[in-house]
Amino acid sequence: MVTHPPLLSLDGVTKTFPNGTVALAGVDLDLRAGRVHGLLGANGAGKSTLIKILSGALPASGGAIRWHGEAVRWTRPRHPREAGVATIYQHIPLVPTLSALENILLDERGTWRNRTADRERIGAIVSTLGHPFDLNTPVAQLPIGARQMVAIAQALAGGAELVVMDEPTASLAGDERQTVYRTIRRLAYDEGKAILFVSHFLDEIMALTDEVTVLRDGRAVLHAETDTLDEARIAEAIAGRAVAAIARPDQARSLGEPRLEVQDLRSPGKLSPVSFTLHTGEVLGIAGVLGSGRSELMHAVFGSDPDARGQVLLDGETVGRYPDEAVAAGLALVPEDRAEQGYVPQFSLAENIALARVSQRGGAFIDAASERADAKAAIDRLSIKAPGGDALVTELSGGNAQKVVVAKWLTDDTRVLLLDEPTAGIDIGARTDILKLVRALADGGLPVMLVSSEFEELLAICDRILVMRDGRMIGQADPYATSETDLTLMTGGTTDVAAAGANA
Amino acid sequence: MSAKIDWRRTFGLREAGVYYALLILLFVLAAIASSRGLPPYLSAENLGNIAYQASLIGIMGVAMTVMLITGAFDLSVASVAALAAAVLVGLAGSIGFVPAALAALCTAAAIGLINGAIVQFIGINAFIVTLGTLTAVRGLVLILTGGRSLMVENPAILGHMLAFESTRISLFWPALVLTIVIAGAGIMRRAPLPIAAGLIIGALALLAGPTVAVAAPVIYLALFTFVMWAVLRFTVIGRRLYAVGGNAEAARLSGVNVHAYKLAAFVLSSVAAGFAGILFGCRLGAINPTALQGSELTVIAAAILGGTSLFGGAGSVVKTVVGALLLFTLTNGFNVLNLGANYQGLIEGVVVVAAAAIYTVGGNRRRSRKPVADTAPEAPPVVEGATA
Repeated sequence: MVTHPPLLSLDGVTKTFPNGTVALAGVDLDLRAGRVHGLLGANGAGKSTLIKILSGALPASGGAIRWHGEAVRWTRPRHPREAGVATIYQHIPLVPTLSALENILLDERGTWRNRTADRERIGAIVSTLGHPFDLNTPVAQLPIGARQMVAIAQALAGGAELVVMDEPTASLAGDERQTVYRTIRRLAYDEGKAILFVSHFLDEIMALTDEVTVLRDGRAVLHAETDTLDEARIAEAIAGRAVAAIARPDQARSLGEPRLEVQDLRSPGKLSPVSFTLHTGEVLGIAGVLGSGRSELMHAVFGSDPDARGQVLLDGETVGRYPDEAVAAGLALVPEDRAEQGYVPQFSLAENIALARVSQRGGAFIDAASERADAKAAIDRLSIKAPGGDALVTELSGGNAQKVVVAKWLTDDTRVLLLDEPTAGIDIGARTDILKLVRALADGGLPVMLVSSEFEELLAICDRILVMRDGRMIGQADPYATSETDLTLMTGGTTDVAAAGANA
Repeated sequence: MSAKIDWRRTFGLREAGVYYALLILLFVLAAIASSRGLPPYLSAENLGNIAYQASLIGIMGVAMTVMLITGAFDLSVASVAALAAAVLVGLAGSIGFVPAALAALCTAAAIGLINGAIVQFIGINAFIVTLGTLTAVRGLVLILTGGRSLMVENPAILGHMLAFESTRISLFWPALVLTIVIAGAGIMRRAPLPIAAGLIIGALALLAGPTVAVAAPVIYLALFTFVMWAVLRFTVIGRRLYAVGGNAEAARLSGVNVHAYKLAAFVLSSVAAGFAGILFGCRLGAINPTALQGSELTVIAAAILGGTSLFGGAGSVVKTVVGALLLFTLTNGFNVLNLGANYQGLIEGVVVVAAAAIYTVGGNRRRSRKPVADTAPEAPPVVEGATA
């Protein structure tokens, strides 16, 4: 049913960053009017880079982009916008204090605010969307789903022919998703727009799209009509590779003594009640896509979510429900966002490492000599590339800064280590270092909880995996009997957990 | 791994600019004084005077610096100081100096607690809350004084208060002892900076002679600054104050009770303001309801001159005191040399903005040192966003 000529076609598009990292290694992609095209891929597969190239935020290094059959070179966000490409991001950049109407008109030129003609024109567009929001309401007062519709209306007001949507449903509730789906279908089939729909959720890709492209390691490894595919085939294409550097033992390790018991832990609106036990020497993986409640679970265990209720027992003793009490008890959390939550930017490497140790050990005075020794030990142990303990942590690269955040907690007083996406956004070398360290720590007896979007990492080093979706723990997987494809299906699909054959 | 000193950084404008500014200003004023045939400007007496004039602002500035380090802000200090002075003067006649001073400090602490609790637990911006208390507490002073000046009538108590504030303390022998302690510590640790600092203090003491003395508030300021400097420099509390201001979330997840530290900073700021108010009340044994009005801005200006970041996580109490000295040297210079008081405000304002500019530019240069990349750089943020 490929009848239309492509509206936009990418031909061997590459992107190499100045430091040599290859993000896109030659991608071909044809987007046609009146069709919804699904784009999938694991983290680091090149999706974000591709979207940034389409939106003009990054220039491509090589290959050709054709728009209506003509070669174009977009180097600024303005260029594709004027041509008719609108990009809608997952975190919608709107001005919260302005009304929906003013946000929609934000990039229009002209002199006057509040022209009647504008209002009528936008009103007509919004009515085709089914009036999902009131034009005069400040965006801050709109629910997230309505904000997504504001962004879509913004795209339409600019006369877009191609709408690129980067995980538009990741932060939406069920009925809000339905509204977005309906809108996408109407845009494609009634108004003849081309849609590029990026998502982690396989079920919505299956339900919504006409054709699918899967990226892996900067290449399009699968391109097919959606009705010729099933979820398993897509999941396999997404996964498809292994962590070569970490050898996985042939058989399951036996679990040690129970150490951390979590009983009926919950947080209203974020986490449905969960209970589980963490054992000595165990790496417990938490699998789930963004927004599945995996970080919320970590914060609830650590006591840094003030709304969380329930019991956390360490060696049979209740852990206090504040982070300072949790730290004193021996819990340690490496948070997801190292820059926002992990380190103090004004502090040196040694000072950042010392910050947590003091919370564990107490003490009133700073012992500069032992801090320098600790920093040196951390630099050696984690192979941190840094000029020394006096270096500011902001002068380090992402991978090395992450190692500093991990090193904060590598003390004898840490009794349970919670790692939230410790390998996000860092290169393969640092990633392997951290994973090896985590496995070694667990083999030394330390219980570890590990959240990762990279399911191959979980499968490589975890003893058990808990699967989360929509704030609920939906099952448990045995890493020795589960494939990455299964995990992708469980976290992203509607597939029943038992049916995926992964019951531990 | 060594505690190497980066000399270019330590003596660069960013780190040491406020010291240079004070020295240059002093020598310029001294040169003008001698060219006009006035008595020597750099006399021990005149320098002691400047320090005395700067002491109240300095005391509040040190606490304000701690406050700014934690990432908060306190506009109410001058009003709190006036309230403390009013409580002291109002009560001293009936209950005696010491109990009245304690009551004044408790009043100040209570206001700090209210400020901090509203900011931390209700979550209103500190600027707004303390702008409110600035006005409300000043109103309280007007109510307490009935809009008139209060004074202490009892001569014995008045004497007690004046003694607390205006006793002159000889500096000669303490300075020599300090010289030996600092230089000795420097020699033991093989650190050149303390040796030099010790020798300079000793030389200045010998130069000024054994009669040199300063008023008590200067000593109070010096002690308070020393204690706060040591707390910030050597204790875990200090480290955590910086961490709370630098990245509150990282501090919280590292097991720091962020609320407690921020609340403590508000209380410290108000108690220091209360102490400054007590000194102010003792100076004259009287209080006028508009006393110290507007000084909160001088306090903040001193902290900014000292390089304290308004965004938290950085700052030095010693440099704030130097900043206060700089501001009062300007004032003092204009008065002593009769340079035309009309220009004073203009020049002070320019100095503050110029200092902030130096810190900002210097700070950028340090930050722009590129990290050794080992991974793909994050693409630049898409500023224009999701628009068609």
